Amino acid sequence: MKPGARHSGERGGGFAMLGAALGGFVIAAAVIPLYLLAKQALTPELETFAWPPVWLPRDITLRNFAQVFMVRELRGAIVRSLSVGVISAASATAMGAMLASAMARASAARRVGFATLSGVRLLPMIAVAIPAAVMLAAIGLYDTSDALGLTIIHCAIAIPTAALTLYAAFAAVPAEVEEAAWLDGASALRVFLTIDLPIVRGALATAFILCFILSWDEFGFALLLQQTNRTLPPLLYYYTVFGNVGPASALAILMTVPALCVVIALGPTLRGALISGGSR
Amino acid sequence: MNRQARRLRAVFVAAPALFMLTTLVVPALGGLAASFDRGGPSFGNYAALARDPMFWRATLDNLLLPIASLALELAAGLAMALMITARAKGPAIVQVAAILPFAIPEIVVLTIARYLLMPRGYLNGALIEFGMPPAQWLAPHGSLAMLSVVVVDAWHVTPIVMLMLAAGLQTIPPELYEAARLDGADRLATFWYVTLPLLAPAIVGAAILRGIDALRIFSTVLVLTGPEAVPVLSTYAYGQWTDAQAPRVAMAAAMVLALIVTLFALGGALAVRRWSSDPGAPA
Repeated sequence: MKPGARHSGERGGGFAMLGAALGGFVIAAAVIPLYLLAKQALTPELETFAWPPVWLPRDITLRNFAQVFMVRELRGAIVRSLSVGVISAASATAMGAMLASAMARASAARRVGFATLSGVRLLPMIAVAIPAAVMLAAIGLYDTSDALGLTIIHCAIAIPTAALTLYAAFAAVPAEVEEAAWLDGASALRVFLTIDLPIVRGALATAFILCFILSWDEFGFALLLQQTNRTLPPLLYYYTVFGNVGPASALAILMTVPALCVVIALGPTLRGALISGGSR
Repeated sequence: MNRQARRLRAVFVAAPALFMLTTLVVPALGGLAASFDRGGPSFGNYAALARDPMFWRATLDNLLLPIASLALELAAGLAMALMITARAKGPAIVQVAAILPFAIPEIVVLTIARYLLMPRGYLNGALIEFGMPPAQWLAPHGSLAMLSVVVVDAWHVTPIVMLMLAAGLQTIPPELYEAARLDGADRLATFWYVTLPLLAPAIVGAAILRGIDALRIFSTVLVLTGPEAVPVLSTYAYGQWTDAQAPRVAMAAAMVLALIVTLFALGGALAVRRWSSDPGAPA
């Protein structure tokens, strides 16, 4: 039974119209900006610069996308973003699983865990990134071409997302299953690896994907820690600011595709995690 | 066996927690120490902040922007939450469209927004088509630029507010709506006396979570207007770090922001605690 609709009786006409108008606005607000970006990506720059603007594409071309793959800087950024994303998401999922499994079983672990996770979420990006840049420079990890420093930071900011996504899954594993394995002589670590992890594998996949998207989209740390060996978000920023409209639009479309696929494919299962995650 | 399990749990909590502390909290503490250092312990960096009018503008904007953002996001998020939880849900495309903006990477959202809002952008183009005068949506130091920042930010994150409030709406027992209807309450009265008070905890929760993010606003302002047109503390610190080459002043500004965020979160936590310990409190 859904609230809000209990009164859509005789007086509902005005509200129904209001709802339809809001729905129309929501669709327009979601679709029109994406359409304009796609149009820019698929038409020559000359058409994009036309004034007044051209609303329907006249001359479809894939030249902007070709350009994206021809520039070495861009290819490098794509590879770097993928590697930072995969490595940081895998490590964050592993550490998040450790934390979540302990938090699901012991109240002391729960207290320490939640305190750490919410404390970390309060830190402003800028208050971490500037001193971290100085410290990473001191140990030779600032702006390296493998982006190891950024990978470590992305892993750390993704752990809360991973742990909160996995917490419910670990809590749902019946304690009797673990106890039975102990009675058979399995060590606690073995129980975790061979019993708990296989049971929560669906949640592990969700956590990995969320952490990957978090890193894939992350702009602030990437901007400050990878001044020249850039990942995709800062690179798109420079392309946009310095007016390379065609390649910037194509790059923006390419960056949107993975995130869009994930959200549409996983849909409702992501809601809880999306609400608790996010960082700036 | 139990002892072994306990030991493993301790390791499982300690390892990730220590990792987060060393990679995030230790740098922040290093920044705090550096902000009091000017070739010796000193308040000089903070004094330099206090002398810079731009810092005060950044602080003011950093307080105004979140208020405007929260007001818009909560209002729009509530309207959208009511829409997607209503019995007559409407077509599924509305549901997908409602969440879509959040699925787009933030930097892509900002790229699109730049192309929409620039002087010869699509928004001004559309205004001209309809015979209306174009506007300078991103002109430096104007309230219009602030409004643009607020609207663009809201476009990206309102889906999250919507999901949080929709989750809250679904916990309200339908019997209460039935009772209100039998008492002859019209829709507005039901909304005001049933929905809003029962949704208040969800609204407060959303306001705290979104408020923390809004206080830390960085990329929206930087990408749309550059570091100085609508200064906030994050972009001010970034400007001090990159352009002014004054890392310690930058860290001092970042610490002021960290203090503001912490105070806001503490206030929010206290409010929630008082709320939950006193369930009979009026909304």
